[in-house]
Amino acid sequence: METSFALTGKGYVIVAADTTSARSIVKMKVDEDKIKTLSPHLLMAYSGEPGDTVQFAEYVERNIRLYQIRNIYPLRPSAAASWIRRSLAESLRSRKPYSVNLLLGGYDTATFDPHLYWIDYLGTISEVPFAAHGYGAYFALSLLDRYHDPSASLEEGLATLKRCIDEVSKRLVVSPGKYKVKIVDKDGVREVEL
Amino acid sequence: MSRSYDRALTVFSPDGHLFQVEYAAEAVRKGTCAVGVRGKDVVVLGVEKKSILQLQDPRTVRKVAMLDDHICLAFAGLTADGRVLIDKARIECQSHRLTVEDPVTVEYITRHIAGIQQRYTQSGGVRPFGISTLIVGFDPHDKAPRLYQTEPSGIYSAWKANAIGRSSKTVREFLEKNHKDDLSREESIKLTVKSLLEVVQTGAKNIEISVMESYGKITNLELPEIEAIVADIEREKEAEAERKRSRLAATAAGQAAMSQRAADAGQGSGQ
Amino acid sequence: MSIMELNGGSVIAMVGKDCVAIAADMRLGNQALGISSKFERIFPVTDRIYLGLPGLATDVATLRERFRFRVNMYTIKEEREIQPETFAHLVSSTLYEHRFGPYFIEPVMAGISKTPSGAVKPFIAATDLIGCLNFAKDFVVAGTASTKLYGVAEGLWEPDLEPEDLFETISQTLLNATDRDAFSGWGCIVHIITKDKVVTRTLKGRMD
Repeated sequence: METSFALTGKGYVIVAADTTSARSIVKMKVDEDKIKTLSPHLLMAYSGEPGDTVQFAEYVERNIRLYQIRNIYPLRPSAAASWIRRSLAESLRSRKPYSVNLLLGGYDTATFDPHLYWIDYLGTISEVPFAAHGYGAYFALSLLDRYHDPSASLEEGLATLKRCIDEVSKRLVVSPGKYKVKIVDKDGVREVEL
Repeated sequence: MSRSYDRALTVFSPDGHLFQVEYAAEAVRKGTCAVGVRGKDVVVLGVEKKSILQLQDPRTVRKVAMLDDHICLAFAGLTADGRVLIDKARIECQSHRLTVEDPVTVEYITRHIAGIQQRYTQSGGVRPFGISTLIVGFDPHDKAPRLYQTEPSGIYSAWKANAIGRSSKTVREFLEKNHKDDLSREESIKLTVKSLLEVVQTGAKNIEISVMESYGKITNLELPEIEAIVADIEREKEAEAERKRSRLAATAAGQAAMSQRAADAGQGSGQ
Repeated sequence: MSIMELNGGSVIAMVGKDCVAIAADMRLGNQALGISSKFERIFPVTDRIYLGLPGLATDVATLRERFRFRVNMYTIKEEREIQPETFAHLVSSTLYEHRFGPYFIEPVMAGISKTPSGAVKPFIAATDLIGCLNFAKDFVVAGTASTKLYGVAEGLWEPDLEPEDLFETISQTLLNATDRDAFSGWGCIVHIITKDKVVTRTLKGRMD
């Protein structure tokens, strides 16, 4: 089942999401990228109802880009998170709400610190040191409670992420096979192989 | 009941003119000049900047706007109207990407902008946009530079080089005389600056140059760079004038010699 | 599973002598799964009014934004700070506007109001999710631990407590009530409001 993790460390946020896209019990695709780069220092992992996810992610992507073109500067992570939350909250009470869960990781280039937001399809938002969505969350969150260190180096952060992924692979009946892992820090966004 | 008739501002005059649209064109003619030059694989936008007041922040007064990664727009006329039109165009650029997953072509966004301008000449309770625009850029997956113009009436057209705004006629005539096909980057920039200097007396500090070299590659020239180009042009003009002067002097000397000889010959024959 | 209990969380407010206190837990959950232990559900409205929003977490954020907007508009238009009584009615009417598609929040507010003679009067109030006001003279509670909060508060509260004693009473009430509730807890935040200052303290709680 769909799973995504994210954790902060010393000057970075790591965001990871599985790469399977499934239709009922069938795997349709195993190399889907479910993490969008919204701006030079902003990442968003999305999961939920197929169709809604990509539609909503692209809607957010274009609006964040429009903001940047209009104002030269991109939105800071906290502002982007508030805007996205509000979009979901307004959608929730509309005729056909989006059911999309998000992890928003960003590096604030004004204050030089990383931010991570846990957002669900209801428009619930919370800034957290680490977060997860999907069934993997039940295993990963307790592991992260034990091993997460907000001042950890990138290598240590990736090692912690590896623990989470391994645990989910080991214990979850319907565990995803592969993950895409992206990092955002002062140098911007990059993808890494685990 | 008369309300339903006099709501529209733009109505035909008995001899078939739309005065409001013509007044809008007049507002454009009063606006600062903007020049666009298309080279071989580069397109250059040059605008005349109003000299800003001593305490004003120059960064907040911009006449060239980015519409998307690969498209720039310069306008002449009412700045306030320009801002509104630019915003509509920017939204369309993102909306187009969202709906068909492709960036807009230069022609498409030009047509869109011209379409908006036309709409404002035909709907009730609105006035036309008092601006003309020059739109430059590259189409996705294409190396050819593009240059388009739109007018308040909603007309749009493609150009090799063009000018809008104050004294645009003079500048266009200059461009017609000096534009060649397949200009290089340097030549294009130089031609742009040169043509702007026809109307901008104050020189480099009132000129703003944006160069687009390929899809998504836009550079705004810094003041020293523009100053260097202006100095270069001045030097050329000086040399040209010098040559002209010496040629004039030579001709004058020749004529003097000739008339002297004629006079001598006259005297000779008299004897 | 009721939508009011989806995210968990509780708020309590108490009256003291020329002071009021409002306190809440800091858990944000998804049913039994804990998501955050730093979730704020009490927000300052003015220097002397605090508003607690227990219930569905998305509506906590939405209502916080709405009330901030409406209070700012009030302050600008009236050119004065909003009074607690007025604010209570603002909350009530805002919620009743959504009578047939409500925000899943039961607000609790606490503040100090000034009487015409210049004396101060402690004020607390709570409403249900459609804005039915409850002005209490002693304490008000709301949230997933509300039933437990009633019991403990009934036993511990007494009239005319001084600020420090009120702090002790409200803290003990909240801490012990949330220990009996699986959906509340994970730390608390307490605000003690007196006529010229607000003291805010965070409390550690059981993390299970």
